[in-house]
Amino acid sequence: MQDVSRTYRFATRTWLFLLALSATVGCGHREAHHEPGVLTVTEAEQTGAFVRNFNPLLEAGDVRWPARHAMYEPMMIYEPLRGDYVPWLATGCTFTPDHTQLDCALRPNVQWSDGRPFSATDVAFTFDLLRTKPAADSRGIWQYLKSVTATTPEKVTFTFLRPYVPALFYIAHQPIVPAHVWKSVKDPIVFANEHPVGTGPYTEVQSFQTQAYRIGRNPYYWQKDKAKVKALHFQAFPGNDQVNLALLHDEVDWAGVFVPAIERIFVERDKDAHHFWFPLIDGTVFLYPNNLKKPYDDVRVRKALSMAIDRDAIVSVAMHGYTRPSDATGLSDAYARYRDPELVKQGDWVKLDLDRAGKLLDEAGIRIGADGVREYKGEPWVVNVAVPGGFSDWVRAGSLVTRSLSALKIEAKLDTLDFNAWYENLQKGEYSLSFGWSDVSPTPYFLYRSMMSKTTVQPIGELAAENWHRFGSAETDVLLTKLETTTDPAEEQRLFVELQKIFVANAPTIPLFPGPLWGEYNTQRFTGFPDKENPYAPLAPHLTPQALLVVTEIRPK
Amino acid sequence: MMYLLRRLGFYALAAWVSITLAFIIPRMMPGDPATMLVARFKRKLEPSAIAGLREAFGFTDGPVWKQYFVYIKHVFQGDFGTSLSHFPESVGSVIGDSLVWTLGLVGVSVVLAFVIGSTLGAIAAFYRGGAIDSIFPPMLLFLGAFPFFWLAMLVLFIFGFVLGWFPVRHAYADHLTPQFSLEFIGSVIEHAALPAITVVLATLGGWMVGMRNTMMNVLGDDYVTLAQAKGLSTRRVMMGYAVRNALLPNITGFGMAIGFVLSGSLLTEIVFSYPGQGYLLVRAVKSLDYPLIQGLFLTITMAVLAANWVVDAVYAWLDPRVR
Repeated sequence: MQDVSRTYRFATRTWLFLLALSATVGCGHREAHHEPGVLTVTEAEQTGAFVRNFNPLLEAGDVRWPARHAMYEPMMIYEPLRGDYVPWLATGCTFTPDHTQLDCALRPNVQWSDGRPFSATDVAFTFDLLRTKPAADSRGIWQYLKSVTATTPEKVTFTFLRPYVPALFYIAHQPIVPAHVWKSVKDPIVFANEHPVGTGPYTEVQSFQTQAYRIGRNPYYWQKDKAKVKALHFQAFPGNDQVNLALLHDEVDWAGVFVPAIERIFVERDKDAHHFWFPLIDGTVFLYPNNLKKPYDDVRVRKALSMAIDRDAIVSVAMHGYTRPSDATGLSDAYARYRDPELVKQGDWVKLDLDRAGKLLDEAGIRIGADGVREYKGEPWVVNVAVPGGFSDWVRAGSLVTRSLSALKIEAKLDTLDFNAWYENLQKGEYSLSFGWSDVSPTPYFLYRSMMSKTTVQPIGELAAENWHRFGSAETDVLLTKLETTTDPAEEQRLFVELQKIFVANAPTIPLFPGPLWGEYNTQRFTGFPDKENPYAPLAPHLTPQALLVVTEIRPK
Repeated sequence: MMYLLRRLGFYALAAWVSITLAFIIPRMMPGDPATMLVARFKRKLEPSAIAGLREAFGFTDGPVWKQYFVYIKHVFQGDFGTSLSHFPESVGSVIGDSLVWTLGLVGVSVVLAFVIGSTLGAIAAFYRGGAIDSIFPPMLLFLGAFPFFWLAMLVLFIFGFVLGWFPVRHAYADHLTPQFSLEFIGSVIEHAALPAITVVLATLGGWMVGMRNTMMNVLGDDYVTLAQAKGLSTRRVMMGYAVRNALLPNITGFGMAIGFVLSGSLLTEIVFSYPGQGYLLVRAVKSLDYPLIQGLFLTITMAVLAANWVVDAVYAWLDPRVR
């Protein structure tokens, strides 16, 4: 008996010892390890382990945040709140009167982080790289470019195949890489660029581990007084919950995540230091009806569906009141200055009105059948609403949509799909109704092109990069062509109002709400972040390349 | 010996089946990896750029049987290609990086849970109705009944967030670099404590109850009574007679738990931002990273097969009947 009790005591003691050990090792008050002047930022890409890849040409895949937001810079940065370009590596770009040529004057005295001078050769080299490597040309710039030449060391000339003004946006935002480094790179797509040489404010990789890394100042930065932070520090977070926890813990200085009930959860913890700003300048979230599928090709059906949706409920329940219901132009606040107030008033099909919605469906031949549900061509009409399962806000919004539709006696089902399956169906046009995001660029040109241009319509079964709902109007294409050849603001505005007219009349897609752009910051250690009072740029660290405008303003307290 | 060889043959067959399945299953998933690379960023990409990416990432559109033979050849060379979600690292190095952490964390905690659980179970059965027998099983089963991630989050919240005793994320402090120093090792232990405790707490009950129940049966057997009648010490009766036989079912369970180790007790790793295999697998599947999925599947199945073969060998040693 005694032997056993000894074994027993030993086991208990070991167990207690292990517990005690783990407790003493971790004892004491735990403070975040903050080094003065080091700014902690969250990456957009949530990952458990970082890969050392600083390739700014590769938009897709796992490229570290600083590549496009702190290391490499574009010629100009579009600032969506003011609606203007901020000159960056270029002091300005102008089109020739016939819009076939764009001249960009480059900033003198800019140096790469290895001390070599930056010049027009680098710009021409970068664009030439895109020509030879279509994988890097994600915007298809070379569809309309003829040549890019360095006319003088401080001037680059872009010659177009045909006048195409909207290209300015993509040309201006192209990150420029140094010719003297990249000319010896064999394949710029698979190049990981572990030791980056850039013109940006933070270029020096001080340490790199799979779970955290640190980027120091560029010793040769051209805006000497703008890189005030000692270093940028990044931690690997596998998901939103972990970022939120770190944010509450004052471990992160600048983040761009969705936080539920942010006033109560985040701000009230430390009213002086915890701030957020969610301007509605991301793309509008739409419910896309498949226009090549009956009966969604009928404008009455699309408008009826739209009128049945309770957007106020979606905004307050699914989006925590962070946004507002969309108007019938489908324009988010990124395009606020183009929005026509008269058309917003006319577009009444985004207002909840079950009576009119029911009448429109009756007119379209979708009537309530014997068993109390609406029938189309003698069959019960089943409306499937597709959402990607991982997007919890959209899933909540989706269930509100189906609930709204059932009030119209429509048999509506929410299809929560795996992201890959959902995206493939969307691109191939194999769905009835689907949630989806939309384009953000300086003008609504690209948005309306992807909403209504005949040139972007693909048959069902073909992958479509845009215009997933497959609506095309010849009238739109005429207006778009005119927009491609004008830089006159008054003429542009007139054309954009015409486009809005077509959109409001046809309801090719169903706008739900403008997307907020998440951004949070902590002023315990740093200042200079933009907010409602000082909206010099959007706060979101994930906005490419606008985050450069913020990263150069942040300074230690 | 014949027994072990026979088992080996069986495992070779199982290995081939799993290698083939690892080839087929990712290809049955919807979506296209090149498109996925872009979709995560909510952007549109020109078709010409997608074509360029496909070429750069080396997606071959050859006939499936050809892809299969190239794949088999690469498997034998240990070459699983380049990871798409961790581009441009190779699958081997991505898995290698995270394997260390998972083996360390989950391996140690599973072994700990097994040893502690089985010991407690044996003692509980030997002193039926005693303090250990009446307190531990219900308490541990209660803890084990919680959803795993919930228990992990509760532990994280109380000990990491509220009390601040333990770090809440990562495998070691961010300002350290991996090295063989006391500070670094201390940091690793400190960071592993919470996730390890979670795994141990959640699985302890199963081991203990399993051990206790078989032990009860064994203790009722005639040979145990005989051993006691012979006047052998209690310790010998317990260790040499009862435990050795009662351990058999738990050993089988242990072999299966090794699979659990490599699939990385996924939820623990996500909750604690631990850079291990489990999180890697989720990410690989999400981004349709075929090469990484295949690499992970194979590492996991091979490890399970190897562990089971070892278990078979241990079994043969513990139980002369199967030899």
